Amino acid sequence: MTLHLLNRSPQSEGVYRDLREAFGDGDHLLLIEDGCYAALSSGRDAVAAFAGRVSVLKEDLVSRGLEGRVDGAIEVVDMQGFVDLTEIHQRSVSWF
Amino acid sequence: MNSTSGISPATTAIDAPQDLLIVLRHAPHGSSWLREGLDVALVAAAFGKRVGLLFQGDGVFALLQGQSSGPLAQKGTHPQLAMLEMYDIEHLWVSEAALAARGLPVDSLMLPVTSLEASRIARLMHSHPHTLIF
Repeated sequence: MTLHLLNRSPQSEGVYRDLREAFGDGDHLLLIEDGCYAALSSGRDAVAAFAGRVSVLKEDLVSRGLEGRVDGAIEVVDMQGFVDLTEIHQRSVSWF
Repeated sequence: MNSTSGISPATTAIDAPQDLLIVLRHAPHGSSWLREGLDVALVAAAFGKRVGLLFQGDGVFALLQGQSSGPLAQKGTHPQLAMLEMYDIEHLWVSEAALAARGLPVDSLMLPVTSLEASRIARLMHSHPHTLIF
């Protein structure tokens, strides 16, 4: 089971498309840095394929003024939550 | 679905995971990502690791025939691709959707590759213990 880290906004459609191909059962997506923008309701299409298996990093939301604007379907995790996710999953890969 | 352009039967084996899977997602020339990914592949192979490559997104453009150096003599990545065989890097996979979206037939590429549909790409990633994305 893989933890996928993604740091691009949904404007970079290609990286979301490639992740969709590579995303397996039991995998999880954590949106970090500019990936946070995909956690807004405007980014719903970009992450629809990962429904129920998406989190977004709180610290990066806060610095972008996005806290409180996150789509209800997406879980917000803090740095400790990030560490927990890396513990749960066998490996992590970064998409950029 | 799985098609190959023919030469090595080894390239079809998605169930034979390598030590390292390198995913190449960027086109030649525009950035150094593709070159860096290929550098890592060649170095790992030189240290005896078995390496597989997956071309995804614009990374499939790395496989076009007829590439050359840039207008200011910047080196391309095609010479590195030509060296893969010498380093025993023979497992080359490519996203079928990425090829289709760019109108590239699998048999028009400079190396024999195995094209994979999305579900097989997920399986490929899952089966490899180590994956690096470039």
